[in-house]
Amino acid sequence: MVNKLRQYILEKKHYQFRREININLAEEFKKQNLSPVERMTQRFEKLCKMETPVILEDEKICYLRTITTIPDCYTPDEWESLEAEHYMYKINNISPNYYKAVDKGLLALREDADEYGKRAIDAIIELSDRYREEAKKQGRNDIVKVLERVPRYGATSFREALQMFRILHFSLWLEGNMLVTIGRFDKHIYPYLEADLKNGVLTKEDALELLEDFFVSFNKDSDICSSAQTGDNGQSMMLGGIDENGNDVYNLLSEMCLKASYNNKMIDPKINLRVSKNTPANRFVEATKLTKAGLGFPQYSNDDVVIPALEKLGYEHKDAVDYTVAACWEFIIPGYGNDIVNIDAMSYPEAVDTALHNDLKNCETFDDFFKSVQGEIGKITDRIHSNIKEVFCLPSVFMNVLMDCEIYEAKGKYTNFGIHGVGIATAADSLAAIKKYVYEEKSLSKDELISAVDSNFENTPELLHRLRYDAPKLGNNDDYVDDIAVELLDSFGNALKDKKTVLGGIYRAGTGTAMNYLYQAYAIGASPDGRRKGEPFGANFSVSLFAKVNGPVSVIASMTKPHFENAINGGPLTLEFHQSVFAEDDGIEKVGMLVKSFIDRGGHQLQLNSVNLEKLLDAQKNPENHRQLVVRIWGWSAYFVELDKEYQDHVIARQMYSI
Amino acid sequence: MTGTIFDIKEMAVHDGPGIRTTVFLKGCPLSCKWCHNPEGLKQTPQLMYKKARCIDCGKCKEKCEHDECQPYGRCIRVCPENCLEVSGKKVYAKELAVKLKKTADVLGNSFGGFTFSGGEPLMQSVFLLELAEHLRPYHLCVETSGYAEEETFQMVVSKMDLVIMDIKLADADLHKKYTGVSNEIILKNFEILRSSGKPYIIRTPLIPNVCDTEDNLSKIKQIIGKSKWEQLPYNQMAGAKYEMLNMVYPMR
Repeated sequence: MVNKLRQYILEKKHYQFRREININLAEEFKKQNLSPVERMTQRFEKLCKMETPVILEDEKICYLRTITTIPDCYTPDEWESLEAEHYMYKINNISPNYYKAVDKGLLALREDADEYGKRAIDAIIELSDRYREEAKKQGRNDIVKVLERVPRYGATSFREALQMFRILHFSLWLEGNMLVTIGRFDKHIYPYLEADLKNGVLTKEDALELLEDFFVSFNKDSDICSSAQTGDNGQSMMLGGIDENGNDVYNLLSEMCLKASYNNKMIDPKINLRVSKNTPANRFVEATKLTKAGLGFPQYSNDDVVIPALEKLGYEHKDAVDYTVAACWEFIIPGYGNDIVNIDAMSYPEAVDTALHNDLKNCETFDDFFKSVQGEIGKITDRIHSNIKEVFCLPSVFMNVLMDCEIYEAKGKYTNFGIHGVGIATAADSLAAIKKYVYEEKSLSKDELISAVDSNFENTPELLHRLRYDAPKLGNNDDYVDDIAVELLDSFGNALKDKKTVLGGIYRAGTGTAMNYLYQAYAIGASPDGRRKGEPFGANFSVSLFAKVNGPVSVIASMTKPHFENAINGGPLTLEFHQSVFAEDDGIEKVGMLVKSFIDRGGHQLQLNSVNLEKLLDAQKNPENHRQLVVRIWGWSAYFVELDKEYQDHVIARQMYSI
Repeated sequence: MTGTIFDIKEMAVHDGPGIRTTVFLKGCPLSCKWCHNPEGLKQTPQLMYKKARCIDCGKCKEKCEHDECQPYGRCIRVCPENCLEVSGKKVYAKELAVKLKKTADVLGNSFGGFTFSGGEPLMQSVFLLELAEHLRPYHLCVETSGYAEEETFQMVVSKMDLVIMDIKLADADLHKKYTGVSNEIILKNFEILRSSGKPYIIRTPLIPNVCDTEDNLSKIKQIIGKSKWEQLPYNQMAGAKYEMLNMVYPMR
């Protein structure tokens, strides 16, 4: 059953039910001079009414998005004038508390909701009634029964819980919220599974199939709600980790989620796993079996690093231990975190480039030059800080119901801003080359270096080769350059330490890049690490694309030296292995042990994948033969053939450790 | 004591227990037609040219004054894509050991040990033994063809914790035909290995129609009896490096 559903969705047959709607709500809203919250509520009410209930033959967990675009609440000129004075914040990248709704039902939540929340809930219930009608028409009594309970009342079974979740998530997207993350699914939903198994309502096999059906549902509408490229939609599920008493949360449902993801082999939901020093070794092996599927799942986050670092930033202990990831990898508190985790990005190579051109000649020693780079990092963060104007937050009335704190006007228990840190390897490698050749060996003059960089190494092929391939590189367990990277990260964290945001929160320096590994790379020319003009940086927290590295152990050694408590916004190290490494149990076990070593050494976050370079190259040439080939991008996975070429090329250029 | 190595692989998978680092020693007395590490055959450094990356800029063809480039007739210090690399580096055993142990430190308890491979590691047995000494107390494994003087073989085996030895072909004539040498010494050394008391694994690569025949496999079974035996599937990418060395893959 699930197989047929999976095929149906992969073949995009459900697209036939979609329609474009051509309504202009904004004009009408403007004319009536409606408040933001009234606009958002009316839009949601209208969209719920316009949604057509569609139930697919082979599915158990229903709800299908039929409206493709969400009309704006503001006219273009209204928006423009708002944007001139504000940072425009459409709620994204936060993790609502679906689970209180799953437990209590929407009628119970309605009691405490504000008037807009009440209207939103009513609209959701009305749509569910129409779905129930449709189910009746189709003779789907199984669905009728489920919809008699949810979403009005709390779930009383695993299936009801899953259906309720689907309705909630569907509604959040329909409201216009983006990159809404799933949160700690196993922790909250396991009791429903446990009860059904105990009472004989479901067998384990039934439950797995139901879960797979539920997992397929994350792939139905995701193309409508993606950000950068298809796949970037924020449906990140967090498994494992500890509860407020320090107990391990990982349970049978966690295990089944790994299996369901493996069986489906689809790019959503994105599987994340919280681990620590106390995680049993065999769990890493189990998780590596999922890595074998080539989806780039799971992504690991280290409780030992994240929890204390969040607390150091002022997060309450009971919240810090509940952390999940936002759309890709930024750490966020479910229910309470209204942080804007990706408000801007700081380019380390830009800092080096500016210092190189403006100050290298004045710097007698390398330490002087490094101080100059630190100064530039400070200037960039100042610039970022002063660029952020007052925040205008579109009020998501249903999201507000599901969060555990009010989020109107960008309020929240936590309203911190996250800033990505881009190109650390390029910068560290550049600085190491300068330190070695300009200051220590004195085999390269400052003028030579600057003019070589400015001319894109056109007339200095030997210098290019030396900088690119012979100079010390981050990723080889070489303190000479690794220490520079440690200091760069510290500098970034320090530059943000005492700043307060416009919302009264703090800034969180991060190790992620999002798509800035392309854009910020294009913003500067060549760099002293031998990177040519136009070449991208590595994605997230990684070594330089062209660096010769000794292998994954050296990379792990280098990339676990930094002090992550100074930059805990999030952003993983990426390691990729050739598919053949996973062919046998022996290889799987060893990769699992490697991940454990990474965690034991204090690595903060890791995304890992199984790749086949030959397949990727062939997929570029013959995409029709590789429709289901999945690759990991910067926090999400994508169908390789659906990516723009520059993303494809970047994936191909990434390091690979094959046996 | 120096030795010539051509690669160090972190996280090798099929080379013994745990996450291991494998050191590849250059030089081999055999010349198996299916060898997938052809740069391991000659003991001396060789130029490898990665044609797939070449953008034909011609910079390497311009005359240069660098000493290290002279043996190769190409400048190896100007390639923008790093297509030209010399395979084979002379290293001191002690220095190499220091470098290798860094990896072990990173992995702590997950580290499985070191494996010596190649080429044929026993061809540089003095270097190998010194290296092994410096790497105590880590678990040590050697991957060998078994083609070495008895005394040498015995000595190295005694210093290893695990021996992985190839027995490719049981028939003496076929062995000579496909590897260039007789298997007499190899089979004699196998007996030494068998009675050494050391843990060992026998390996046979399943080269299609050569080693994977019922005849060959049953004959090998007769020789090795109850020994632990791994039959390795043929590496489809085996021919990949030949062109880089300006060689022709014999199994094509």
